[in-house]
Amino acid sequence: MAIISQIQGTGLGLKRELIPQIQSLYGQEQLTNINFVEIAPENWISAGSKAAKQLDWFVERYPVVCHGLCLSLGGLSPLNVDFLQQVKAFLHQYQIPVYTEHLSYCTDGFKGEQGYLYDLLPIPFTEEAVHYVAQRIRQTQDILGQRIGVENASFYVAAPISKMSELEFINAVISEADCLLHLDINNIYVNSVNFGFNPHAFLRGIPGERIIYSHMAGHFQQTPNLLVDTHGENVIDPVWALLEDAYQLFGTFPTLLERDNNIPPLMELMYEINKIVDYQNKAERRVIASDQLAATG
Amino acid sequence: MTAELPAFQRYQLAFTARLRDPHKQPPLVGVPHERMAVYKEIVFNNLFESVSTCFPVAHKVLGKRKWLKLNQAFMREYSANSPLFRKIPEQFLQFLNNADPELQSMLPPYLNSLCHYEWIELFVASSPDTTKPKDVEPEGNLSNSKPVFNPTMQLLNYDYAVHKISPRNKPKQPESTQLLVFLNADDQVKFIQLNPVTYRLISLLQNESLNGKRALTLLAKELQHPQPESIIEFGLSILEDLRSQGVIIGTYD
Repeated sequence: MAIISQIQGTGLGLKRELIPQIQSLYGQEQLTNINFVEIAPENWISAGSKAAKQLDWFVERYPVVCHGLCLSLGGLSPLNVDFLQQVKAFLHQYQIPVYTEHLSYCTDGFKGEQGYLYDLLPIPFTEEAVHYVAQRIRQTQDILGQRIGVENASFYVAAPISKMSELEFINAVISEADCLLHLDINNIYVNSVNFGFNPHAFLRGIPGERIIYSHMAGHFQQTPNLLVDTHGENVIDPVWALLEDAYQLFGTFPTLLERDNNIPPLMELMYEINKIVDYQNKAERRVIASDQLAATG
Repeated sequence: MTAELPAFQRYQLAFTARLRDPHKQPPLVGVPHERMAVYKEIVFNNLFESVSTCFPVAHKVLGKRKWLKLNQAFMREYSANSPLFRKIPEQFLQFLNNADPELQSMLPPYLNSLCHYEWIELFVASSPDTTKPKDVEPEGNLSNSKPVFNPTMQLLNYDYAVHKISPRNKPKQPESTQLLVFLNADDQVKFIQLNPVTYRLISLLQNESLNGKRALTLLAKELQHPQPESIIEFGLSILEDLRSQGVIIGTYD
């Protein structure tokens, strides 16, 4: 059983392909820096007895967090309350303390049904959309009886009808919904290239005190000014630099590596997870050093 | 109706309409074509891959072009109602079963059966429960007591020999086919082909509260068999065999 304060250090997004490797290396030094794992409830709810046994194995050994894909916080159809109840029961059954979702939508209410499109589509940044999304986050939190984190999503199309920046939208939604921020470092970078802004300036505008944990990932460069958030490549240097900057700005926070496609052997992912730890240690040493300076100064 | 929606939702609707039907729905004003193309690609490919992974034989039998067109129609016309990715193939089946006559007429008559057969493996693999029901006597007498079937068992009756279909073996006519699918104790999906008599026996046992002997007596009557004892004896050996394979998990008193 995990509690929220156990979500610390560094984690790994749990893909089925990685399970045998993690199980066979469990307890060995190479995996020391997997402190928590993340799953998508959509992939594990009613997934059968084999999946249930695998999940039991992980829950006994690691704190687990849930990162949803299909709640459709900005969707056109009514919030899927039946599904949310399933999520709630699932979180309860496996004692999972954290649930986060994306600031995006994947339903359009087509033909009077939910109309799932199973992908993260961009919400236009308008005042009305802020209220709409914030209300649905509140409804979600009321049903679950806990705060959720919302992730800054990557996107490729800027809605011409948007009346505010992404940063203004994120801040307005989070403040109105009184929820937490699931900070995706790579998504900031992807959007900064796709829409031409300075990612470090963006970082300075986020509500850092609300970060519950963060994501690191790689992406695919389709053209020099179009990045696609595939989670299929290694993390690139500018994204590492953003993480370092974020730790310096807000102090360290739990950080998880996502790899969903083109999955390499586990040890290659451990290399990136260990690198996150290096950045966390470096940031903490810097804090200690500056505290000492302040004490002696 | 859409005029009553706030501007951001009208925009969202136009956006998804374009994703669902790029050939008929207009492009969005002020949105660069190559950026919209990213969404068209990822949304469609996502769906296409989920469907194609579940139905490899249907894909091959139909051929690339028709399969693509069928998936485009699924994207365009079907409103998916489950947030679980695993349920995409099941929703594709529903789409096929409710397809309009024009679409149906383009598809081979055995396609829906074939797709159902391909999907059932996924369905059985994600059965919620393989734990045994209470009060089951694993070694119970199959003749005097009521046999209990594996809770994951699916008893299937198809109009075509779905398990033999391949691009080189497309059925030319219907062929009644009975199959049994279940999840064994090692979480593996197992298929067993049944003859019509065994199929009938299992249906009787499943639907009526009968012990093995009474079900077999009934079956012998249905078959108007001159020597019911031989049917009973043979039938009990079949039930024992099903028990050894894990299809029957025991008996109720």
